[in-house]
Amino acid sequence: MADINIGNAPPNSAILPFYATGALSFLILCLLLFFSADSLSVHYFNPQSLTIVHTAALGWGTMIIFGAAHQLLPVVCERDLFSPKIASLCWYSLTLGIVLLTTSFWYSSYNWTTIIGAILINLSAIAYLVNSIFTSRVCKKYSAVRMFVVTSSIWFLFTAFVGLLLVINLAFPFFQKNHLEILKLHAHAGLAGWFLQLVTGISSKLVPMFLLGKYTKEKFLNISCILQNLGLILFLVDGYLFGLNPNRTILYTVIVLSGIVFWMVFLQKNYKERIRKKIDVQMKHTFVSFVFLGISVLLIPVILYFTNIQWANLYGTLLFMGWITGIILGKTFKTLPFIVWNGHYKNLSGKIKVPLPKHLYNEKIVEWQFWVYIAAVVVLAIGIILKNALVIKFASLIWIAVASLYIFNVLKTLLHKTKTQ
Amino acid sequence: MIIEPNDPFAAEKHLAVEALFKVIDPELFVNVIDLGMVYNLDFEKSDCVKVLMTLTSPHCPMGEAIKNGAKNALEIAFPDRVAIVDLTFDPPWSIDVVSEEGKRQLGVE
Repeated sequence: MADINIGNAPPNSAILPFYATGALSFLILCLLLFFSADSLSVHYFNPQSLTIVHTAALGWGTMIIFGAAHQLLPVVCERDLFSPKIASLCWYSLTLGIVLLTTSFWYSSYNWTTIIGAILINLSAIAYLVNSIFTSRVCKKYSAVRMFVVTSSIWFLFTAFVGLLLVINLAFPFFQKNHLEILKLHAHAGLAGWFLQLVTGISSKLVPMFLLGKYTKEKFLNISCILQNLGLILFLVDGYLFGLNPNRTILYTVIVLSGIVFWMVFLQKNYKERIRKKIDVQMKHTFVSFVFLGISVLLIPVILYFTNIQWANLYGTLLFMGWITGIILGKTFKTLPFIVWNGHYKNLSGKIKVPLPKHLYNEKIVEWQFWVYIAAVVVLAIGIILKNALVIKFASLIWIAVASLYIFNVLKTLLHKTKTQ
Repeated sequence: MIIEPNDPFAAEKHLAVEALFKVIDPELFVNVIDLGMVYNLDFEKSDCVKVLMTLTSPHCPMGEAIKNGAKNALEIAFPDRVAIVDLTFDPPWSIDVVSEEGKRQLGVE
């Protein structure tokens, strides 16, 4: 019988820095929310909101997703990670880039430092794209999941490049088009291209894996991939050439939304046909996050036809703090303990009694984190709708509680010492 | 995995199964025997024990740990033999191979 190569997980040194930095960024994000509560009740193009959004999108969302993605690329593509060294380069450039960029945003100081920060983030995006393309190239067969991984990394590079142009324009104005219009295109390339497509791809692999789902047909995912990309490309091309038109934007939203629905149908079929009936709290985080994603998308017509700025702020907040944060809060404890456990115990398993990955963190605290997270999103949404800085500040305190619970467990996992008894 | 009573290596196989009960799939929290991952045990050669087993999915992130776990457990149970773990996905793992106890632990209705 031929020995099948099951591959090696990437070294922890290439993965864990993403998790540690991401967790720290989450705490900083919640503190920024607390100290800049007023910024969420005014127009989003202000120094505090730009800092908060980029801390959320890059420091928190992208950082953790990069960590998980570098670990999961081999699982998705059934091949070892192309280059752990490039993964490390990706972390260095992203971390330094975020520090330079967000500091510039906070102080509204746009100069070469800001541009170098944006260039570093582009370098990080290129590094990630190289790893995702070269890891996935020898997949034995086409898979929709692999396609989502590659398209999302292309969209991330595109988003970072447009971001670079935007910061150059802030330092040395050269755009002939409205900066805010390009900013909207940049934001949606990131949301619908990078985050949505990566989450679609990775979740379509992980949710069936965790639930032991039996539904494997890919037709819904293929349709989802086409619709998500079609809607986004039409939105960007039309928005750039002719400016954003509410009626046409609704059409493109419907196309992307249809793509989301096909992805949800795939997940729902796996959920219905799952072997494992018990749904753990990590999966509950994921399912609740999808509710916030759905509400955000349904808010798009409201943003287009009502000029009140709180709806746009609510839209962005639900996407970052409801959807992306919800996924990360749950999925961290579906990936990080296993990565750390592998480092400590993969060679000891079978020799001595070893703890299970779930023993590396406190499950009760993840339960608490789940409920406090829901409360934080709801109270923050109420504060934004009412444009009430006091309620937003109170919500920020709840967010700091969420971050504290999360960081406690992340540190507990990262600092785990090998137990040999 | 069924061990025939007239199997010349029945005693060794029972001992091996007992050892493999200690190897847990870290994600599913169930041992590899109850999960039905072990397809065959071979004691034909006097200096080694060969185990043919599967994983719940190809390129399972815990695959290396499970494979090492099976090798370690068998080499402790049979110190005079080298354990060789071969993986196969033919046939692929499915719920049908899980024991009643495994199903109970998985929460399968």
